Amino acid sequence: MSRIASVRRAALLTAAFTLAAVRSSAAEDEGAGDFWWSPGDGRTLPAEAAYGDSSGRIGILNTSGDVSTKGHPFFEPLGSNGRACVTCHQPADAMSVSAATARARWKATGGKDPLFAAIDGANCPNLPMADEASHSLLLNRGLVRVFLPWPPRTRDGAIVEPEFSIEVVRDPTGCNLDPEHGLASATPTISVYRRPRPVANLKYVTAAAFGVGPFNAKDAQPAAHDPDTGKLVNMNMMADAREPTLKAQALGAIATHLEGRAPSAALLTRLLGFETQIYAAQSYDVHAGELAEPNGPPAFGPRAMADGRTSVLGNNVTNYVFPIGEAWRAIPRSGDAAGDARSAARESIARGHDVFFYRTFWIKDAMHLNTVGLGNPVKRTCATCHGMHMTGMDTANGWMDIGTTNLPWATETPQSPWAKQAPEMPLFKLTCDKSVAPHPFLGRVIYTQDPGRALITGRCNDIGTIVMQQFRGLAARAPYFSNGSARDLRELVDFYDRRFNIQYGEQEKQDLVHFLSVL
Amino acid sequence: MATRTSIAATIGLCVAALVAATGPTFAQTTASQSDNAGAAQSAAPTSGGPHRNFVSCPIVRDTKTVPCWLAEYDGETYYLGIQTDISADFDPPYLGHRVLVEGVVKDAPRICGGIVLEPVAASPLPELDTTCNTILPAEDRYQVPFAPRPPGPSGGRLAFDPPPGGARPAAPERAGPQDFALEYDFDTAVMGRHSGTLTQIFNYAQKTKARTIRITGHRGASLLSDGSTMTERAELAEIRARETGKLLVGAGLDAASFDISWSSALEEPDGDGDWHARRTIVRVEP
Repeated sequence: MSRIASVRRAALLTAAFTLAAVRSSAAEDEGAGDFWWSPGDGRTLPAEAAYGDSSGRIGILNTSGDVSTKGHPFFEPLGSNGRACVTCHQPADAMSVSAATARARWKATGGKDPLFAAIDGANCPNLPMADEASHSLLLNRGLVRVFLPWPPRTRDGAIVEPEFSIEVVRDPTGCNLDPEHGLASATPTISVYRRPRPVANLKYVTAAAFGVGPFNAKDAQPAAHDPDTGKLVNMNMMADAREPTLKAQALGAIATHLEGRAPSAALLTRLLGFETQIYAAQSYDVHAGELAEPNGPPAFGPRAMADGRTSVLGNNVTNYVFPIGEAWRAIPRSGDAAGDARSAARESIARGHDVFFYRTFWIKDAMHLNTVGLGNPVKRTCATCHGMHMTGMDTANGWMDIGTTNLPWATETPQSPWAKQAPEMPLFKLTCDKSVAPHPFLGRVIYTQDPGRALITGRCNDIGTIVMQQFRGLAARAPYFSNGSARDLRELVDFYDRRFNIQYGEQEKQDLVHFLSVL
Repeated sequence: MATRTSIAATIGLCVAALVAATGPTFAQTTASQSDNAGAAQSAAPTSGGPHRNFVSCPIVRDTKTVPCWLAEYDGETYYLGIQTDISADFDPPYLGHRVLVEGVVKDAPRICGGIVLEPVAASPLPELDTTCNTILPAEDRYQVPFAPRPPGPSGGRLAFDPPPGGARPAAPERAGPQDFALEYDFDTAVMGRHSGTLTQIFNYAQKTKARTIRITGHRGASLLSDGSTMTERAELAEIRARETGKLLVGAGLDAASFDISWSSALEEPDGDGDWHARRTIVRVEP
């Protein structure tokens, strides 16, 4: 157990949640402990579990009770590469997998863990698997390779005629120009690199009510349907919304990430049942203490996630995105140093909430936000886009371009003779056809690290649009954004500050980071 | 004010198509447009105020609450509207683009320093223009106390929804063939804000088990105050019609047939509500 974890232990033992394992941000230095769930290890995942993370403790709640993982399809290898779903959706990482955890696994296993499977745990399958550099995007940014056909295909296999051409400008992984795996291969393929999303709180992610209709609210294109039931889906799952349902996502993931075949109907039902009963949220903060306590802020902790209402717009003062109430504002001081420090931390969190909810700035040039009838720019707040009650996702289909992957806003260090670090991410040049209107904010020629939703729709206006993620369990699953470009929450806040010229003060940044870290 | 020329009198169908529900396939046929034309004409504005139709950079004027949208023309500043939300009739333009303003001067006090145009259409032009980048700071003398919602979170409803407990006026029960109009920004096709009208069409067609969906695409021209005319590109009527059909079919509308047509001919613009000519009319026939 690490130093940091030892210091926390006393406080953790008072928790309502079972302390399943303690893992600190220094985990990679000590080798992975029992916070790691290897495929097929057969342990029981308790109904309530907690794991140390970068700012306290992530709480995991299984509303169905203890989960026996022996023979469980989420926890057992389902394909040829030894992976299970849990490989990239670890309870200790809020059901995602962090870059720090990936590094710990590399160190603990010498790169032999199935996490590093050639198909997508390497920068490209043609690289030497024993070489750490071949897995640099997973180790440095927590990214897995997502390989998609070009031109796009519909779900029934028909070719989508794209509105733009695509060329590879920079290929640091070697995959997009590779004769076997790349754009010029016999099966033209584009490789992009994305963070695994949390498999938790999915009742919110999949709820299809407010803002969901036969036509997407953002672009008026037909919304997707559940192929089994014919019902509309909200298209808020996955970075590019390419799969309509959890079932479709699971089958796709088994075929690609796990290199397996479709499981039996019974196993699939069990797999989906697990995914829809698990909740994750921060439950303890090293400065503010227990987050979910009687009469405390109602938004915090995994139990609040399990009990919360779905499909509720929270960008208002009746529902709120993250309701925190008044308990943590202007807290009387007792004179006890530790208690007062905790009160100060709680007030910081409340202030951070207000920065998120009330601090206005000019939202400008954001595709599928400024174009939906609000104008460009629109003076609003974080909660304008991140409006779904309890998660901060979008209630409607939530893909937007805020510049995380598109230039000029994507993180790109200008090259120089003195630069010590070469660019890690691929760079594509997309040219929109003259037969369509230019992208309203980027014109006809767009450079991007990941075309996002446009790799599915072929639409110029979708270039670089990414489905918003939920805000829960952030402290357990750095780095952030779909391309892992923000190493920590401060970098995330700094990105927004730079992107929208918000001009946050230092106190605002600290409070906002603190708030985000307890969600 | 010039009289709007009847579409039916001046144009014929370029193509009319009978499209199976499984996807648009095009074949020559004929159809009457008189009903569609009537529907379009009835939507034309009747205001008799002086018109201001021009192209310029939009300007954002911040206030203590929500910002105003302004534009300058011929040495004068005009007020176009304020930021609200997606329930508003006014769709604010884009910085980074010039805007085609088509409006009528209203006899009312200035707002945010600008002469009020109402009704007004503010249509961002498709090509980028980075010189359009003015955001003016808030000044105490410019207030918008009538703003229905603040710039941040709302009070719990969209700006133009009825108040809590208030009943939205009951919409007249639709029956029989109905026309729906999609109106566009200049030189553009479907955008996100059309999802509401498309949904109305879809729902009505589903509810009435529509046998035929007749779609007619148009393009428009705008007479500017300086006497010049702006004309949409020739192929846009076809693009709008085909796209509308594709969207309805793609959404799963299982009407027996789609009849898709378009007219690239232009109504003569008169500077009075010319934006209504940039439209697609969808007739749903149960």
